[in-house]
Amino acid sequence: MKHPNWLRKTLCGLGLAFASHAALADDISFWARAADAGFVEPLVKAWNAGHPNKVSLTIIPGDDFVTKLGTSIAGGSPPDVVAIDLIFVPAFAEAGQLTEIGSEAKALPYYKSLSASHLRLAESGGKQYAVPFSAEGSVLLYNKKLFKQAGLDPEKPPQTLAEIEAAAKKISALGKGVKGFSFSGACGGCNIFTLTPYVWAAGGDVLSPDGKKETLDNPALKNVLATYRRMWEAGYMPSAAKTDNGANFINTFLTGKVGMVGSGAFSIGLLKKDHPEIDFGLTYLPGSKAGQWSSFAGGDSIAIPAGSKRKKDAWEFISWCLSEEVQVEQFAKNGSIPVREDLANNAYSKLDNRFVIASTAMAKGKTPYTTHFNQLFNDPNGPWLAMLQEAIFGKGVDPAIKDAKARFTKVLSQ
Amino acid sequence: MNIAASLRLPRAPLSRRERAGYAFILPCVLFTTVFFLVPLAMTLWMSFNHWPLLGKPSFAGLANYLDLLQDESFWGALWFTTRYTLVVTPAIFLLAFALALLVHRAVRFVGIFRTAFFLPVVIGMATASLLWWWMFNDQVGIFSAVLMDLGLVDEPVQWLAETNSALASIVVMVLWKAAGFTMVILLVGMQAIPQDLYEAARMDGARWIQQTRYITIPMMRRTFALALTMSVIGSYLAFEQFFVLTKGGPMNSTISVVHWIYRASFTYFKLGYGAAMSVVLLLILLVLSVIQMYLLRDDND
Repeated sequence: MKHPNWLRKTLCGLGLAFASHAALADDISFWARAADAGFVEPLVKAWNAGHPNKVSLTIIPGDDFVTKLGTSIAGGSPPDVVAIDLIFVPAFAEAGQLTEIGSEAKALPYYKSLSASHLRLAESGGKQYAVPFSAEGSVLLYNKKLFKQAGLDPEKPPQTLAEIEAAAKKISALGKGVKGFSFSGACGGCNIFTLTPYVWAAGGDVLSPDGKKETLDNPALKNVLATYRRMWEAGYMPSAAKTDNGANFINTFLTGKVGMVGSGAFSIGLLKKDHPEIDFGLTYLPGSKAGQWSSFAGGDSIAIPAGSKRKKDAWEFISWCLSEEVQVEQFAKNGSIPVREDLANNAYSKLDNRFVIASTAMAKGKTPYTTHFNQLFNDPNGPWLAMLQEAIFGKGVDPAIKDAKARFTKVLSQ
Repeated sequence: MNIAASLRLPRAPLSRRERAGYAFILPCVLFTTVFFLVPLAMTLWMSFNHWPLLGKPSFAGLANYLDLLQDESFWGALWFTTRYTLVVTPAIFLLAFALALLVHRAVRFVGIFRTAFFLPVVIGMATASLLWWWMFNDQVGIFSAVLMDLGLVDEPVQWLAETNSALASIVVMVLWKAAGFTMVILLVGMQAIPQDLYEAARMDGARWIQQTRYITIPMMRRTFALALTMSVIGSYLAFEQFFVLTKGGPMNSTISVVHWIYRASFTYFKLGYGAAMSVVLLLILLVLSVIQMYLLRDDND
């Protein structure tokens, strides 16, 4: 049945009024999520200083991003450019909400060195709907001072999950509120980012490669969950780990009282700038044998929403974002990883080996491809977080996985 | 006697007085139409469609309602909200009644107390929830810090991490937030009771407790009905406090119906299904309100 357009527009207009008020009519409107504000604001400033067609930026809270973007496209007045968490691209592309930009993208001379994970998630039905914008890889942060105090070699970070547990034990033994390990136990998104790499590294996975089936019943996942549970029960984690909904994702580490925490490349810049007192190292998230490691390849993709009236200008801005000038002088200089592999070794990353580790982790990392990412992993009441909580703090690993299998299947079958 | 009406003659043009009357209610009618009737009609229409947030809607007939019948999560959330309402409504009512009794006489400084009790009402629920979220926080919050300073506990209390304490914490917060509003409603009812009834009772030697029992409470049936109905509706529509304080956790134990509607609409992007749930919730509230009004009706009604 066909719906009158005015109905949809009225419905969506109310929500939109708040999001788009900042954009001027003849500017290229650009939406980005709040987490990116730090590097997107200077980026837009740099563009506007050197280009006649101005970009007007709207920063949107991360939790509302998908809703706002969805309503704006449905309402027929989307932004011209949008930087969106790469995991949401499949859902938007499949629903026909983004403009196809395959031919433009493939004409870029450095197309082949763009982040592979971003490109894979930007594809739907053989067409390409986005290009990489910013990169983020998950790694293990560790506090070298606490390692030294606990009698561990700060230059030899854990090589396996078992070594993480052993190190956590020694560090927790320091007492005075010092804990070996921490994670955000009430945040689904944080854990797809920092927990699944242990599973991937050990040869397991949570979804089938096409993202259509769950594969939760595997020894690698069981081992990771059991290890977390043991570390929680033995008191190697701060009590806040259970309730942190992501608000303190990195903060526990910033207190200097936590030995190890899974985190992202973003924390390197943050720690160096705001917490020079913390001597930290970076290593890959390991598997069950030495030499195994993995990473969640995250970050943002940049796309043109369906219905944008400024496609040509939008693409000009997007390709400028991918240029060496921007990727090195705007991103790498300010502590982000470039999305182009040919620029991984740049003047700034050479200054600090930790950036190279993060870049390598990102480039070789994985990203689940599913149109149900929000429902499965980010939803605070979704099956992924319920499984983690039951496995680590509740009934135990096996019953948690059993429940989760059914709930994953239910979501995936929709 | 109105001859025109009794003879069924064509109605005379509106008098000036009548026109003025319509003009006065016009803004209200417009407001209700634009902000209530139209959205209500749209919600009804949406509930008969598959209406994804991303992509095109299509007509679904009763599919959303049939899905709803089998959705255990929705009924689970409804049951949770019912239990929450059963706890919160009497608690708010009793507290508000006690407060109203305390501040209903015009004694010295009573204005300060009335203001203090009412003040939390003027804060938005989301703002109040954030404030309490900070106080409940086990790392930086004040409650744990005070208990630890007093030596009553050894480590921070995780108020929002256990099922029972999370619900209890929210109930405490809502009491603080909502009791003032009910208090004002009850206060208005109390002040409308004619003073000569109390004077007569005092002449007969009735003590304060007897005056309350035999005059105040019976005279306030309508006010009670209003206060209780509003409180029940408010509790069934609870959202911000759960969304901000627990996000439905721990382990999905505090998911209210409206939270579930929000989730269906904006996590699952199924706006049509969310609309169907909203319609069902509206009907439930309608029935509950009618029952309450009926039970608490005055004999004169």
